[in-house]
Amino acid sequence: MEIIQKFGLEAKLFLFQLVNFLIIVFILKKFLYAPLKKTLDERKCKIEQSLQDAKNAKIALENAGEEGKKIISEAKSNAETLTAAMKVSIEETKENATFEAKRRSEQIIDDAKQKAEAEFENMNKQIGKMSIDISGKVISKVFSSLFTDDEKQKLVSRALEKIDEKITN
Amino acid sequence: MQISPDILFQIAGFPVTNTVVTTIITDIAIIALAITMGKVISLKPGKTQNAVESVIDYFRDTAKEIAGDRAEFIYPWVLSFFLFIVISNLISQFPGFESIRFHTLASDHNGVPFLRAATSDLNLTLALAVVSVVVTHYFSIKHTGIKAYFTRFITFRMFPIFLFVGILEFVNEVTKLISFSFRLFGNIFAGERVMATMYGLLSFGLPLPFMVLELMVALIQAIVFAMLTMAFMHIMTDKSH
Repeated sequence: MEIIQKFGLEAKLFLFQLVNFLIIVFILKKFLYAPLKKTLDERKCKIEQSLQDAKNAKIALENAGEEGKKIISEAKSNAETLTAAMKVSIEETKENATFEAKRRSEQIIDDAKQKAEAEFENMNKQIGKMSIDISGKVISKVFSSLFTDDEKQKLVSRALEKIDEKITN
Repeated sequence: MQISPDILFQIAGFPVTNTVVTTIITDIAIIALAITMGKVISLKPGKTQNAVESVIDYFRDTAKEIAGDRAEFIYPWVLSFFLFIVISNLISQFPGFESIRFHTLASDHNGVPFLRAATSDLNLTLALAVVSVVVTHYFSIKHTGIKAYFTRFITFRMFPIFLFVGILEFVNEVTKLISFSFRLFGNIFAGERVMATMYGLLSFGLPLPFMVLELMVALIQAIVFAMLTMAFMHIMTDKSH
């Protein structure tokens, strides 16, 4: 009893401190721990959700990268196919153009030949005609003094006939 | 300075001691903290919320590491012990303790200190110890069942070895009360004595290192009380023990 008195132990004070602490625990639980726990759990949930979203985004990004690579590869392959097709087409076009040009040049040459031949024939005819005229004039000038008009006429006619025959042959 | 707290006055037969005054100041501080924090809690914490959250998180995580799924029951009690003791101990480091005097009919011309560290009153430390032990036993019954709880103290298995172990367990529970209450009381009371002596020797400069020491003691004793409670709660609620 003496020790208890020395330490100041008293039932009223002890009970007061006991009840006081229990009230403090109750207040802390109700006003501090409960809302704080709720907030902490909410934040934890949000962080976990954000991490999950980030993970999903990373996966989506990786998939998009792979998809992009696939598209690029397909595009490359298509481009190669198109280039090959183009090369073939160009070769064909080139060949066609060469052939057409050749054909047309030959045609032009043929046409030119035909025209030249026609010209040549025409010229021949004109030259013949001119030579007849000139021969006629020469003969008439040469024989005008030697023969009578009738003889001249006959000679000229016969000469012309001969020339004509020669030309036609 | 006497070991027992000084009675300042009485209200309807209830003795209001200087430690009771400090207890009420501690209560006001805790209630203010709880209500203010409860109102300003948000998902994006400020500095104060961060500090409180880190303390709560520390005890919650430690309780989870030690007691697993029982942590949700254990940590509010452990945290309450810590907050109450640490705030009470830190408040007693403020100027005015010991120096503000109160004159009673029984006191001499120097009067008695108006404020004294709440935990330097054995009534408070014993009350805290009783709450700790009772709540521990309540959780023990709740989690292990009443049969397993009593088997811890009374069993005739391997007679008389486990009967003796049971008696030791009972003695252990009584000594828990004594160790809890006297450790906290002794440390804080001794700290106050040391500080009073230092102030008596030289008021300027000399008490400063001891003040730092007392701040550390204030924190360490709160942690020791809280951690021991956590450990005992874990042991008593674990079915394998």
